[in-house]
Amino acid sequence: MTESGQLPAPAVNVLWRAVSRNRWRLLAGCSLIALHQACEATVPIVIGETVDLAVASGSMARLALWVGLLGLLFLLLTTAYRNGARQLMRALADESHALRLEVAAKVLTPRVDVRTGDVLTISTTDADHASYLLDYVPRIVGALVATAVSAVGLCLISVPLGLVVLVGTPVVLIAMQRAAPLITRRVAARQEVAGRASSVATDLVTGLRPLRGIGAQEAADARYREVSRESLRATLLAARTQGGFQAASTMVSTLLAGGIAILAGWFALTGRISAGELVTVIGLAAFLGEPFATLSAAPSWIATSRASADRIAEVLRAPSAPSTAGHPPVLPTSGECLGVVVETDAASLLRLYDDGSPDVLVAPHYPELFSGTIRENIVLSEKSGDLDRVLDASAADDVVAAHPDGLDHAIAERGSALSGGQRQRLALARALLAGPRLLVLHNPTTAVDAVTEHAIARGIRDLRHRPGSTLGTLIVTTSPALLAVTDRVVVLRDGEIVATGTHASLAAADPAYRAAVLR
Amino acid sequence: MSAALPVATARQTGGWLFGQLRTRRLELAGTLLAGLIGATASVVPVTALGRLVDLVREDAAPAALIPIAVLVIVAALVGGLASGATATLVSRLGERILAALREETVGIALRLPATVLDRTGRGDLLSRVGADVAAIGTAAAEVLPTVISAILLAVLSVTAMFGLDWRLGAAGLAALPLYLAALRWYLPRSAPVYARERIAIGERSQMLMESLQGVRTVHAYRLEARHLAGIDAASARARDLSVGVFTLFTRFVGRINRAELVGLATILVAGFWFVRSGWVTVGETAAAAVLFHRLFNPVGMILFTFDEIQEAGAGLARLVGVGTLRVAAAGEVQLDKADLALDHVCFEYDARVPVLRDITLRVAPGERVALVGSTGAGKTTVASIAAGILRPPCGTASAGGVPVDELAPGVIAVISQETHVFAGPLIEDVRLARPSASVEEVREALATVGALDWALALPSGLRTPVGEGGHPLTAAQGQQLALARLVLLDPAVAILDEATAEAGSAGARALEESALAATRGRTTLLVAHRLTQAATADRIVVLEEGAVLEEGTHDELVTAGGRYAELWKAWQSRS
Repeated sequence: MTESGQLPAPAVNVLWRAVSRNRWRLLAGCSLIALHQACEATVPIVIGETVDLAVASGSMARLALWVGLLGLLFLLLTTAYRNGARQLMRALADESHALRLEVAAKVLTPRVDVRTGDVLTISTTDADHASYLLDYVPRIVGALVATAVSAVGLCLISVPLGLVVLVGTPVVLIAMQRAAPLITRRVAARQEVAGRASSVATDLVTGLRPLRGIGAQEAADARYREVSRESLRATLLAARTQGGFQAASTMVSTLLAGGIAILAGWFALTGRISAGELVTVIGLAAFLGEPFATLSAAPSWIATSRASADRIAEVLRAPSAPSTAGHPPVLPTSGECLGVVVETDAASLLRLYDDGSPDVLVAPHYPELFSGTIRENIVLSEKSGDLDRVLDASAADDVVAAHPDGLDHAIAERGSALSGGQRQRLALARALLAGPRLLVLHNPTTAVDAVTEHAIARGIRDLRHRPGSTLGTLIVTTSPALLAVTDRVVVLRDGEIVATGTHASLAAADPAYRAAVLR
Repeated sequence: MSAALPVATARQTGGWLFGQLRTRRLELAGTLLAGLIGATASVVPVTALGRLVDLVREDAAPAALIPIAVLVIVAALVGGLASGATATLVSRLGERILAALREETVGIALRLPATVLDRTGRGDLLSRVGADVAAIGTAAAEVLPTVISAILLAVLSVTAMFGLDWRLGAAGLAALPLYLAALRWYLPRSAPVYARERIAIGERSQMLMESLQGVRTVHAYRLEARHLAGIDAASARARDLSVGVFTLFTRFVGRINRAELVGLATILVAGFWFVRSGWVTVGETAAAAVLFHRLFNPVGMILFTFDEIQEAGAGLARLVGVGTLRVAAAGEVQLDKADLALDHVCFEYDARVPVLRDITLRVAPGERVALVGSTGAGKTTVASIAAGILRPPCGTASAGGVPVDELAPGVIAVISQETHVFAGPLIEDVRLARPSASVEEVREALATVGALDWALALPSGLRTPVGEGGHPLTAAQGQQLALARLVLLDPAVAILDEATAEAGSAGARALEESALAATRGRTTLLVAHRLTQAATADRIVVLEEGAVLEEGTHDELVTAGGRYAELWKAWQSRS
């Protein structure tokens, strides 16, 4: 492709890597597909020869010979296709799998920030589209070979006919490409609006409960209708453009094929070629439409692959942010349960603790569960502690008991069937069971009732801070129930320690503290 | 628990499609006409060129070429226009029908009873309004026009062969059984693999999505390698199935090639005998052979897109299936200001375990009642019954004396634990409650719940896109928007179910203020975990094990020293 010089570097890298790491399969596939196309182009020649040499002559022996040859040609053609296509499919499937994993690995790397919705599309659709390059390349090679074989066949019959193909084909293709950018734009617009309509639908259905809570079904319906109509308009516009292009391209390519046939007819009528050769020319002229269609569509295929490769490259190149772990303003001493009351931006405070060491666990506030059983969600490593005690401490034993299958209860749809309080308690159990040397919890009891909250506070204390324990726990919270069981409470403002003491002493002496934590 | 949404039968889907086509008869006729003209224009020159072969064999004068040349050129011009028109018209017809279908489907989805949705899960519905609509859209825009042109061309080519000579036409049809046999070999073998592949792809997406959405947990517990291995395995499974089904496909292509060879050889051998018998000319045989050879591509197109068409058909059946769901007509009674009353209500999800037993409670017009009790006491169930989401097997729920299921949507507004910020400009999110509301009214609603300041501070103020793909909002801000929607809607009765519980305690108090402002002077039933919120209510109802245990004002209950006093003490943590 002459354009390759202008490709932005990242897409080229992804595409070039796709080619180079599959080069042997691609080479084998291209060769076999080229052979297949050469055979396909030979079929009209054999038809012409059969009509000319067998049908017209009435010779049985010749008929048998030429039909036999046709059979052999088909055998070669189908064998070449089968083996070539399988090589290519294998390469394509491997490549898209590899791209998918690279994207997933990148996104799962700590501190790389990529938007979730996009990543799913990039790791599925875009990974597929980028690897389709391995299908497009052999198709283009095959179409070029088919055109060349046809041109040679025509040249053998009559040099001027061959020249018409050799000159006409590039002229027609280049002319068609002038329309390509407009079509690409219209199709892109269509896909963009269709995508928007689809995401509006998804968004409304996702928020169905809040929506119905305020009786906004009608309003939502009207909103979707509007974007659906807009999508329809874009689609119809694209269809008109594509229809116009198809009209022009069909016209031009049939005129070219018809022109060759008429010229051959004139040659035949003036005795320069035989009637059988005329049949061959007519067949070849008709066949040429096939590689034509491939070659005229090729640039838009490549553009699709390139666009997908671009998006993949963007994810793969996303820099990972520097580690935010730093010098936390306060750490629990050995065996201490420390309460931290922070008035602003708890998130950036928590990041200071996450230094990546296996001894430290900063449990996220939002309780995220995964598909699998309750046990699989809680027990994350073999060296976990006493499960029963942990379930008791986190008051998650109720959650387990509420399901007939107990710990083997399968959690569906990320735990959406569980209540917020149930999810929170399971997540807490998971954190406690991991038993890190330093456990940082952030508002771990916001979705449970007051009595349960008390039980949990005592549970955490009993589990991690028995006399002689060296484990440290840091709880970022404003819950008095939790603060009451801590050994020490530190109040932070703008990253600075403004007060230190026990919960009871601070509550008694510090009005600001009382306002912050006592509700 | 997840009984799937219905899928339409082939008969229902066909009937629906037929009905759609019937209402668009003129468009359909125009489309078919354009297609026929295109196919004719593509077939006629070949037969004319066959005639040319005979003219050459008869040593005709070169001038004989003129009419044929004119015909070929005119056919190219007309054929080009017709093929463009066909492509445009087919996708126009398909897209219009699809637009009607997707709007109907989403419309029904939005009005489905909440209980149906709970039973089926949202995933199924989401994949129908999302992936299925998209798949059919692509099929209608890209596959359908080609396939319809191909079918018309195939039919006309065979007709043209019969037109040359019926015996040649018959020879051309000889390959048909082989084509059908190839399909019959392939489809039953590939369909189950495709189904497995689709499931594997679904699992792959699920794995990816979960890992991405739970990425904070993945990092916190250093589960990266484990999740990546899961994605790897799911993706590899889908890949192997794809490769497997493709191997099957290449064997299918082999069978198609065989059919092509047999068809072509039959025409040539039969032509040989017919020419010897003087039934047909050499030119006619040549034309038949070329016509048949030209069919390789379009017939291949039909057969090879069979899977895609089947896929689109399955998607269509899933969409039409949603249309078969009954949606109860919404109630129509409007109320201005009303009381809310539950009268001897009971409820059970499972016959063995009663959830509610004989609940009677009344919220006077303009009164705020808080529902309090430990987890599992039945608070949310009471709220759902009061809102008309659940229907109690005994007892009644009514507002202003009207049974709740006869009320128009929005008369009783519910804000549940589940918050959602709708994608789009912030002002449009709030306006969902009342699309006709002016900017001023939206600002007022936002100001009431204390959200106007931060909303105006967003990059583009109230026009800032929020929700999925927009400016990220905190959980508390999302809930304030929900409250602003409530204020804008101005319902007769408001039900707040733990609306402040998930915000984290830092934002919880601010949210309580918002909720208080949003429900001031409004008949309100409030489900509260945070007792400070309960304390601000006019009256408190304590629920325990599905029954009303205590009832009274905050002060009365604290003094009474019962269950509420115990909860309050625990809450205060002054011990």
